[in-house]
Amino acid sequence: MSLAFDEFGRPFIILREQEKKSRIRGIEAQKANIKAAKAVARILQSSLGPKGMDKMLQSPDGDVCITNDGATILEQMEVENQIGKLLVELSKSQDQEIGDGTTGVVVLAGALLEQAEALLDRGIHPLRVAEGYERACKAAIANLDRIAHSFDFSLDDIEPLVQTCMTTLSSKIVGRHKRDMAEMCVKAVLAVADLKRKDVNLELIKVDGKVGGRLEDAKLVYGLVLDKDMSHPQMPKQIKDARIAILTCPFEPPKPKTKHKVDIDTVEKFEALRETEKQYFLDMVKRCKESGATLVICQWGFDDEANHLLLANDLPAVRWVGGVELELLAMATGARIVPRFSELSADKLGRAATVREMSFGTTKDRMLVIEGCPNSRAVTIFVRGGNKMILDEIKRSLHDALCVARNLVRDNAIVYGGGAAEISCSLAVEAAAEAQAGVEQYAMRAFADALECIPLALAENSGLPPIESLTEVKSRQLREGNPHLGIDCNDAGTNDMKQQNVFETLSGKKQQLFLATQVCKMILKIDDVIQPAAYE
Amino acid sequence: MMQPQIILLREGTDTSQGKAQLISNINACMAVVDTVRTTLGPRGMDKLVHDDKGRVTISNDGATIMKLLEIVHPAAKVLVDISASQDAEVGDGTTTVVILAGELLRECKAFVEEGVHPQAIIRAFRAAGALAVQHVRDASVSIGGKDPAEMRSLLQKCAATSLNSKLVSGERDFFAEMVVDAVSALDVETLDMSLLGTKKVQGGGLRDSFLVDGVAFKKTFSYAGFEMQPKAYENPGILLLNIELELKSEKENAEVRLSDPAQYQEIVDAEWNIIYAKLQACADSGAKIVLSRLAIGDLATQFFADRDIFCAGRVAEEDMRRVAAATGARVQTTVSKLQPAVLGTCAKFEEAQVGAERFNLFTGCPRARTATMVLRGGSEQFIDEAERSLHDAIMIVRRALKNAAVVAGGGAIDMEVSRQLRDHARAIPGKAQLFINAFAKALEVIPRQLCDNSGFDATDVLNKLRQKHALKDGSGRNFGVDVSTGGVVDTYEAFVWEPALVKINAITAATEAACLILSVDETVRNPRSEAPDGQAMAGAMAGRGGGRGRGRGRGMRR
Repeated sequence: MSLAFDEFGRPFIILREQEKKSRIRGIEAQKANIKAAKAVARILQSSLGPKGMDKMLQSPDGDVCITNDGATILEQMEVENQIGKLLVELSKSQDQEIGDGTTGVVVLAGALLEQAEALLDRGIHPLRVAEGYERACKAAIANLDRIAHSFDFSLDDIEPLVQTCMTTLSSKIVGRHKRDMAEMCVKAVLAVADLKRKDVNLELIKVDGKVGGRLEDAKLVYGLVLDKDMSHPQMPKQIKDARIAILTCPFEPPKPKTKHKVDIDTVEKFEALRETEKQYFLDMVKRCKESGATLVICQWGFDDEANHLLLANDLPAVRWVGGVELELLAMATGARIVPRFSELSADKLGRAATVREMSFGTTKDRMLVIEGCPNSRAVTIFVRGGNKMILDEIKRSLHDALCVARNLVRDNAIVYGGGAAEISCSLAVEAAAEAQAGVEQYAMRAFADALECIPLALAENSGLPPIESLTEVKSRQLREGNPHLGIDCNDAGTNDMKQQNVFETLSGKKQQLFLATQVCKMILKIDDVIQPAAYE
Repeated sequence: MMQPQIILLREGTDTSQGKAQLISNINACMAVVDTVRTTLGPRGMDKLVHDDKGRVTISNDGATIMKLLEIVHPAAKVLVDISASQDAEVGDGTTTVVILAGELLRECKAFVEEGVHPQAIIRAFRAAGALAVQHVRDASVSIGGKDPAEMRSLLQKCAATSLNSKLVSGERDFFAEMVVDAVSALDVETLDMSLLGTKKVQGGGLRDSFLVDGVAFKKTFSYAGFEMQPKAYENPGILLLNIELELKSEKENAEVRLSDPAQYQEIVDAEWNIIYAKLQACADSGAKIVLSRLAIGDLATQFFADRDIFCAGRVAEEDMRRVAAATGARVQTTVSKLQPAVLGTCAKFEEAQVGAERFNLFTGCPRARTATMVLRGGSEQFIDEAERSLHDAIMIVRRALKNAAVVAGGGAIDMEVSRQLRDHARAIPGKAQLFINAFAKALEVIPRQLCDNSGFDATDVLNKLRQKHALKDGSGRNFGVDVSTGGVVDTYEAFVWEPALVKINAITAATEAACLILSVDETVRNPRSEAPDGQAMAGAMAGRGGGRGRGRGRGMRR
């Protein structure tokens, strides 16, 4: 790449390693960028909707991942192109903010850029296009607010929440079992939600799984599932009305942190040392016993001597429990984490109605289920699945559904899915475009066209004739003024999404539009790409 | 008979000199200017630059782009420096200054080719530069001394003009308000920028960005027990520490020798007592929130959780400083003898979810001489660029607060100064007349570039502007380019304003740079000095290769 030449036609060296850099600029740069973005969007297009297909991705070290989640697909694809990376980040930020609609946002951005390309060919300034898109986006958002419904829910009436979660899950692998899954998710979110502050900390919901069993075996545990078993095989497998002591100190003589050395020079001293050590174990077990604990959860391990003593004293124990689980356990059971044996007392113990060991099929794996906690602010969803890939995908799907439920707790407005909201927005933007003088009118119309790509893709993925289905629904929406009409992907016989109970969150839909418009503007605004050619 | 060659300089030294050198320097500068040219104005485009490590920046900010280009040409480096200095001095107008300098050079290239002595041009340019600055001063309108509400709206307009050319232009009014709010939260006397925090959280729309009247920072790494602490307080006492609250050996390299196993327990207890004493002191101070620069261990976390105290360890230093400034707390390096006076307070503390992150928010601080902007956006590059744009706007508002004079933007002031210089030039006999005219013509590059970037016919618009500015009654003096219609508009009336300082600094710096480049007639490059280490070798080699092509250096040596 050369910027300038001197009078003899030889290039100036102005930039460092100039000859190694490549540069494209002007309309060419925009075209190349749009092309890259479209390529990424096209990959995701077939994953959209309830009849969307999954992608199988193999990582460099041979792990296989099968997923339908847009953010995961893009992340695992390891896109190299910089513009492609922008779309990956786009889907990631939708994932972080909303958790759902990660495919839709990329497809929408791709469609917007495709439309923009046509406008650029007509010689419209890229920024005028971007500005038109922004205006159109505002019109679309206003329309979303207009057609949005808010519904009331309470702890007793969770039906609307479940319906919305079902819409999210319907496109996933758990689709056949979505009703129960959705209910589980909603119950889990409501269990940890702070309804007054409208705050949900998803970290309090643990999604855990074990290979084997069926999807239907999944269950919601008001409490915790630990991937651990009792420290001694002869300890009781089930404890009713357990009093739990949570310890972050090991079952062994305490060690000073300062470097230390015990000088043993006589046999007596050695005897004394051994005796002291033994006394420590006895003391520790006694303290636990005295506090009234019937189960000891320990962050660290303990050796066989302690294990034996615990068994002898009929005190079941679990060792090597991780910090995060310890914390959740403490919250669930109302226990205080005890850092020293001397601080152990009855009021620091937690309670749980039952603690039992669960075994699976013929495997030796055991898990510990702690249920019936007084303060069920920490819950676990425990899923089963045929193999690891399915299990991972189920976990991802549940994450999406949990996010949706959380968003509804925050803001209980919904719009109708199945492309109904997009079609309605498309109509609204078109109407707004007519009123707009100037080049922006073209851009706004292009935006309206781009919005239709979502219902189009939905119809296509469901095996319906895309254009016929779309035009039919669109004309009906216009005629009947009913913004609930969408693509009948499930072949339920009606286009009314209200009857089909296909909901999406308003915040998620808005976010999709905002983010897609934003990224479009960013890509359109670039007219110069300078990169080291070796970088590929 | 061949004369023996006199070797004056080390072998491989590159010397180029004379007029050709001057011309080639000008050419190089113009090539660089062409790169940033298209970023000017509200319809300016962005550049996507990869660096060799694969990092990507998408930016519209002149200084940022110049820095990323990694320019090695010695003359062209001057341009990088002036854009960096404009950034440091005023924070905005970094593209303007480069374009202006480039245009000044382009104008005088013809003169140099015709054989005018560069010093004559330099003298005239210096005079013209001083005159131009004087004219900008005269044309500026002071906005100081008005009532606060009016002042505020004026500042917002300045900020909005600065944001106009950026990626966030769609939400410029929203951000202009935010920027003005943020800057007004600062102490009027010092306007210390380091007390203005910016946090970036990926996800969400631009409009989800918000200003925290106080301090906000991301949840730090926490140990087990953290979730059991309360997450919201009203009027809490805040204790800031710079010590580790962890169970650890008090002294490195110390060794305890025990002769009796019974003493063992004493040593252990002694250690525990030290940490417990520290924790108890924190709890006794009455603080409800304990923050530390260093780690707060799991033991301490659980201890505080037990006593309903919130704690966060490993808080970044700048956040700590801001918390101290906002809440009035003083950072302690020991916990013994804690006075109530060292505690700070704020009206409300809470931990809240922002996107995928959890944030600690301190709001309603008594001495709220600090503010934090939490920016949201679709991708990392997007937020980075938003941050750079807001930085420009903040600097503008800050400058406007200190030095409250504005001029009409959109190229209006450039046209006006250009006209006045032309008028002035007519009164001068001699060569200087030509040069000052050239200076005046160079100033017109700003409106011309604005038109070019917006896709309008520059000549057409410029002629309209010249006509307006030539009106005898002076009614057209504020006319500039209207980028939305391609016509002309009174930009002062349309509230397209920029602080006079931006223009003054840009004109001064551009003139200086142009004069500097004009005054150079020889480049001597020492081959070794350029390659201090192996990595820079490649760049140096490339630089030397090109140097040979320039000027007549080679011919002279033979």
